[in-house]
Amino acid sequence: MEAPQDNAQILRDCAPYIKFAKLDELLALGRANSLWPLTFGLACCAIEMMAAGASRFDLARFGAEVFRPSPRQADVMIVAGTVNKKMAAAVKTLYDQMPEPKWVIAMGNCAISGGPFVFPGQYAVVEGVDKLFPVDVYIPGCPPRPEALIEGLLKLEEKLTGKRRWPVVKAD
Amino acid sequence: MESAPTAVASQVLPNPLAHLPIPFQAVDYAAKGYHLDATVNPDQVVAMAAQLDKEGLALDTITGVDWMAQGQMEVIYDYFHPAKALRVVVRTRIPRDNPEVPTIQSVFPGANWHERETHDFFGIRFLGHPNLTPFLLPEDATYHPLRKDFTS
Amino acid sequence: MIVKEPISTPGAPNETFVINIGPQHPATHGVLRVKMTMDGEYIVRAEPVCGYIHRMQEKMGENRTYAQFLPNTSRIDYLSAMTYTHGFVGAVERAAKLQVPPRAEYIRVITSELNRISSHLVWWGAFLLDLGGFTPLLYAFDDREKILDLLEGITGSRLTYSYYRIGGLYNDVDDDFIKGTRAFVAQMRPRLRMYRSLVTENIIFRKRLIGIGPISKEMCRKYGATGPVIRGSGVPYDVRRVEPYSVYPEFDFIIPTFEEGDSMARYLVRMEEIAQCLRIIEQALDKLPSGPVMAEKVPRVLKLPAGDYCYAVEAARGRFAVRIVSDNKEIPYRVKLRTPSLSNLSLFEEASQGMLLPDALALMGSLDLVIPDIDR
Repeated sequence: MEAPQDNAQILRDCAPYIKFAKLDELLALGRANSLWPLTFGLACCAIEMMAAGASRFDLARFGAEVFRPSPRQADVMIVAGTVNKKMAAAVKTLYDQMPEPKWVIAMGNCAISGGPFVFPGQYAVVEGVDKLFPVDVYIPGCPPRPEALIEGLLKLEEKLTGKRRWPVVKAD
Repeated sequence: MESAPTAVASQVLPNPLAHLPIPFQAVDYAAKGYHLDATVNPDQVVAMAAQLDKEGLALDTITGVDWMAQGQMEVIYDYFHPAKALRVVVRTRIPRDNPEVPTIQSVFPGANWHERETHDFFGIRFLGHPNLTPFLLPEDATYHPLRKDFTS
Repeated sequence: MIVKEPISTPGAPNETFVINIGPQHPATHGVLRVKMTMDGEYIVRAEPVCGYIHRMQEKMGENRTYAQFLPNTSRIDYLSAMTYTHGFVGAVERAAKLQVPPRAEYIRVITSELNRISSHLVWWGAFLLDLGGFTPLLYAFDDREKILDLLEGITGSRLTYSYYRIGGLYNDVDDDFIKGTRAFVAQMRPRLRMYRSLVTENIIFRKRLIGIGPISKEMCRKYGATGPVIRGSGVPYDVRRVEPYSVYPEFDFIIPTFEEGDSMARYLVRMEEIAQCLRIIEQALDKLPSGPVMAEKVPRVLKLPAGDYCYAVEAARGRFAVRIVSDNKEIPYRVKLRTPSLSNLSLFEEASQGMLLPDALALMGSLDLVIPDIDR
């Protein structure tokens, strides 16, 4: 039997073949790179969300092209469009049906604060989806460009993992 | 090539529905966007709808207008012909504090939803309507938002 | 409303159940709820429930000046935003007796027809997604991105353009737009041939649609259905031909009409319309006059004379009409928006009785609904 080796030496020898990490970080990395959105397009922003998932802007690069129709299979709810008072109960039910851990992205001005439909005496629009449940990322725009939605997803990934996977592109 | 804009010619067509007992007035289409306009009593709207149905017109939409200053509400029925340029408008006025009009749903089933919407927005009751429940507003809504005295 | 007896098979229990489709559902193209009373897989009664995206457009018409209402017009039916803005500015121009310069009218036609193609492409992709095919959506959105690049170059926006102004346009088009549009038209025609061989002649697709969801001419007339719904039932009703507006009388295009009245007929109407739009765009580019794009002497503070004014346009989904009731103030007294999707959906209850559920969804997809168009 050989003499017991120094643990630090063992780790150095294994390093090319075995990586160690904290479980939380691994889980966060896994969750961030495979966010499954709920198909929740309500109005105009839904078309830009579809465009983000389609050929040119391609959400599949970020692992997020698997839109699930059922909330029980989704991790992130992208609220794309205006939330109505008639619809608010259904939105809240969908949020409650999503299993933990779950996140919410408010896409577009209507989901952030009611958008262009807020006027004195308005009777039908919920002024911002954060009046119903907590929101993690806000994406402004009317509608936001698909690149803005991708940036919002990257911000959510940064919130999960602490690191941003795509560097911020600055104009020269 | 540059061309000066021409003035829009006025278009008042001869009334193709002159044989009907409806008090139509010919209207300048270029100025207003419709050809014939008639104002009738509320109890005549179903008969009007039936006659226009026989002529082959289709129901375009039903609009309510709240003339609060005059104490009246107006219901405007728009009809269009699917084959020729013929836009017909039939109007009726009802008292604002008891707004009731018979439904034309039996003639034009498409009126079902238009009347529900007008009821939602103004509170106008369409007598004989099978299902005058809220259409665009929440199911338990009791307010009528397009009335001029509506406050949320 | 006609209620038929539930279909019964001998020995089976004679009871029905109610299921709910939506308001969150991938096949409802927006937030539409349909309460379906089912006898097994057959529909006894389908009752659409609307209002889940009611955004008070008509009430906002009474709280905004004529110019301030323009962004709303794009958001009523966001896929066909240019034509809806056209309807509203047309009504105001008619009432205020403003003369729109010819160059602006031609550019309005070109941008409206580009918008119509992009709307039909979204419909095509989403309809096939409902029927189970994912690939056409990606092809359709690829073509659509080319149109959006062109329109973004002149309007600055991809989806909800507020490009038309009362009296003309926001700004003129440049050579890039004209060259780009000609290039787009040239590359779209082979794509349409590819779509025909990929989808239209596909046997599974044809079996899903031929004979499904017949709608008669009489039903269209009674419910006020317009657009490809009435043209797929044999009636060549198109506002551009029957009540011509703008400079449409100067163009040579056919109104595709099919007699069968089933979902396949409505599908073919729209595919043919894309080809006709390309024809109109080419002719408009050839005939595009020079000149200003904004009318002279548009009042800064616009008040329309008292009375009511209507204007109708042919949007991608059907006849869109605006009625403005004015009492000579800066804000309208009443703005009524007659939207095609409401009339088209209203016949769904009668048309879907006795159908199988997947067939009813194919019928609903072939009606091409945009739910904010219904709820406004």
